[in-house]
Amino acid sequence: MAESKKLLLVDDEADFRDIMGKYFSRRQIGFEMAGGCMEALDWLGREDFDVVIMDVSMPGLDGLECMAEIQKVKPDTEIIILTGHASINAGLIGMKKGAFDYCLKPVDFDELLEKIILAREKAAAKG
Amino acid sequence: MQRIISFFRHIFSPVPEQQLSPEELRIAFRKRYANFRGLLTANNNALQAMADLEKVYYGGDSYRMAFIRSKVTTILVNVFKMIRNLLAMSDGKYKELETIFERIGHDIDAIIERRPDIRQGPFILPLAEVNRQEKDQAGEKMANLGEVAAIPGLTVPQGFVVTSSATRHFLTDEYLVEINRRLQVILPDNLEEMYKGCAEIQQMIRDSPLPPDLEELLYVHYARLERATTPHCRVALRSSALGEDTAGVSFAGLYRTVLGVDRESLVAAYKEIIASKYGARAISYRRKRGYRHVDIEMCVGCLVMVDALVSGVTYSLDPGEEESEVIRINATAGIAKGVVDGTTITDLYLVSREKPHAVVYREMRQDQAASALTYGQIKKLAEAALLLEQHFGQPQDIEWSFDHQGTLYILQSRPMLKSRAAEPEEDTARMAQIEEREAPVLLGGICASSGIASGPVFRVDSAETLCQFPPGAVLVLEHPLPDWAPLLSRAAAVIAEHGSEAGHLATVSREFGIPALFGLPGAMTDLVDGEVVTVNATTRAIYRGRREDLLRMQTVRRNIMAGSPVQRILTDLLQHITPLNLNDPDSPQFKSTWCETLHDITRFCHEKSVSEMFNFGQIHHFDQAAAKRLVGKVPMEWWVIDLADGFGDGVHIEDKSIRIDDIASVPMLAIWQGISAVPWAGPPPVSVRGFGSIIFQSTMRPELDPAVASALTVKNYFLISRNFCNLSVRLGYHYAMIEAYLSDLLTESYVTFRFKGGAADLRRKTVRARLLADVLQHYDFRVELNSDSLLARLKKKPLEYLKQRLQILGYLTLHARQIDMVMNSPGEVNRYRDKFLADIEVMLAGDTPPILGESDHGGE
Repeated sequence: MAESKKLLLVDDEADFRDIMGKYFSRRQIGFEMAGGCMEALDWLGREDFDVVIMDVSMPGLDGLECMAEIQKVKPDTEIIILTGHASINAGLIGMKKGAFDYCLKPVDFDELLEKIILAREKAAAKG
Repeated sequence: MQRIISFFRHIFSPVPEQQLSPEELRIAFRKRYANFRGLLTANNNALQAMADLEKVYYGGDSYRMAFIRSKVTTILVNVFKMIRNLLAMSDGKYKELETIFERIGHDIDAIIERRPDIRQGPFILPLAEVNRQEKDQAGEKMANLGEVAAIPGLTVPQGFVVTSSATRHFLTDEYLVEINRRLQVILPDNLEEMYKGCAEIQQMIRDSPLPPDLEELLYVHYARLERATTPHCRVALRSSALGEDTAGVSFAGLYRTVLGVDRESLVAAYKEIIASKYGARAISYRRKRGYRHVDIEMCVGCLVMVDALVSGVTYSLDPGEEESEVIRINATAGIAKGVVDGTTITDLYLVSREKPHAVVYREMRQDQAASALTYGQIKKLAEAALLLEQHFGQPQDIEWSFDHQGTLYILQSRPMLKSRAAEPEEDTARMAQIEEREAPVLLGGICASSGIASGPVFRVDSAETLCQFPPGAVLVLEHPLPDWAPLLSRAAAVIAEHGSEAGHLATVSREFGIPALFGLPGAMTDLVDGEVVTVNATTRAIYRGRREDLLRMQTVRRNIMAGSPVQRILTDLLQHITPLNLNDPDSPQFKSTWCETLHDITRFCHEKSVSEMFNFGQIHHFDQAAAKRLVGKVPMEWWVIDLADGFGDGVHIEDKSIRIDDIASVPMLAIWQGISAVPWAGPPPVSVRGFGSIIFQSTMRPELDPAVASALTVKNYFLISRNFCNLSVRLGYHYAMIEAYLSDLLTESYVTFRFKGGAADLRRKTVRARLLADVLQHYDFRVELNSDSLLARLKKKPLEYLKQRLQILGYLTLHARQIDMVMNSPGEVNRYRDKFLADIEVMLAGDTPPILGESDHGGE
């Protein structure tokens, strides 16, 4: 996996961020977290990220709207959308709008990890 | 075959010169390859999700809408990815796929989002005004009771129905969205979480205020009941759900009934019953039987309570005594609730259906003799039961009370459930018992489509045997290739040595409802053509002979979801997803415009992506300066171009030559082993006639004249990366191409060989191609042969296996040179075939050290 750049997790649910944080730490994946879109955009302004993992349903700008914002400022970032059963249509909509992939919550960690690896490969290929 | 011809036409026709630098070439390859890999992975994911859907659909177990949604999304997203990858690989050549995909996606959305039709009506209907026509407002139970009220000679309690329109007025979309959100996250396996989640939803409903207009109406109608009976009368509030109309689905006792309700507790009791739609048991029952929550709407009946002396339940036709045809009455003192719940001890009466309704059997289990039914009461009950049966046209399950004045009140009448078939669990046990009798001849594999069938074995391994396949036979294959799909409409069952439940053929097997057992090693060798076998795909076993005992089991299976709304949705969805119309890549119908289902799109994208990969080396003419000459003791000239990571460390970009030890490309090394295994014997002695034909061809086609050698006619190129190799051998008169990608993932791996041309006349060239085809078929290649063009392919095989096949191709590429010149003699053909096979066997035995030619053997 590419060593330098970090990934950014955007989710309004603190519990979920905790679980994912532990998971990434255990696998020595560099990451930052944001509780909403604005915070995510702040992070992207400060540091380089190759992959953003983003929940679809968030208060304020939702995941798809936030993705559009990120694509404006950091078009090379690969975005993986997280959808719930209730918001599952967002998976395909997100793909059509340029997301790299989607993952269904509750998240299967191994599946997400593979998607992160592939997203990083693609981001690296773009330069 | 048309396809191959056009392919070769494409290869051999001059392509506009498009010089790419080594770096550009590398990037182009990497991009295309990334897309190809992505497409293959998406293809697997889409097919797996299709298989998952079909498995539940045909499997007879229950499944949920959430499952369907998640699988459908997986399929849609992966098909979308495949299209995107293919467009990227082909520079947008198949853009119309996007439109087709959008259309199918739109149809699928419409099915998934389908809702029952809703008609808005009054919030409250007096029971006397209700009949079957008002079912969508009053619910099943109250609509029936309204009908009963209208039957002369029968009495029902006074009351009214709070309609489904009122329920929607109370639980607005806002609430439903919240409720559905909570329901989505409740997993069916976690009971504790389920009860907790359901309790929370029910509490939310209890805590929500009733809209003031609805509350006022409730009180108005209660006051009317008071005026019609007595002030402060007690009422019973009963659930009357809507949408429970499927035969064989009972929904019995899932929802609440609240007794002894007065004006003060009226609103709370109403909400209690509405909330009972979300009880844990009701939710799991709906899930199991294939009902969405939106399919069920709760209405509430409000009935004046009967001051009951004795109550009970009558079956107009006792299901336990089908032979004798009697009426069954269970009765108890007081109200009927305990009879329904099964919590109270009851007296049992079996009564003749014929007048004067004699009691044929009596079992007095209660202590109070006072509650015993009089003959007059029994007669009244029997007459009422037959009246109701006649009115509704089928045996009825009736709840009733006698009040102290001796009036019979019908509280509920509904169709009786038919006796159920044996449970599936019992079937499995019985099946296991039967199967113990005789050991199967083959056991194991993957159940790709469940079921049991019997027929004579017929093995199919070529287009010729395909045509001879007899209807009703058991199809036995090595690989479950989509090519065999047309046979499935005629086969009793299908068995394959390879494959899984996710393949195209598995899908088609399920579509046709024929048993399919895949991934069963030894099937082709252990089963003999013509021998009758019985295949039980469900238990993954094959038995000798026709096993009637097993075949009978087949009919017992009952589908728990049958007729449910969720099953109807999945039935409709699968029509847009799984049928495969694009079977044959050679057919003129194998076009994007013929794609009707998502399965068609996956098949089309896959086929086209493979061609796009093959075409890479041809379309992108590479800068020859990037090529390094392979030096060492090697026959002929070989040039190598690195696309990605095909060289070992220490190789410089500026180097003009490279040694075989510096090559890190796994497939190239395997091909090279084959090339260098046996020294080339040199050109065969050519007769004058053969030589003449070379000269003739050379004058006709100047580019074949060795004297005017262009760069491509004298050089043999390897395009390589660590896992990829494309070798183009263009030796004056013939063209050969080997391409391979070797990966740890079977799904990504393939080997392809193309061969065409020669210096001799067409007949001799054709004989040579046929000879190569024979040898390749001997080593399990799928071969397509048209005149002198040969295409041989292997897919999804283990790494070592493919490496061996690459060696074989390397060997043949070198040794098939110029033998077309002598292909007019049958003796020579046989001699070469035997020599090739013998050499290959020695080579594959492995211990021969690669022999590198001491001197160059010269090119052609």
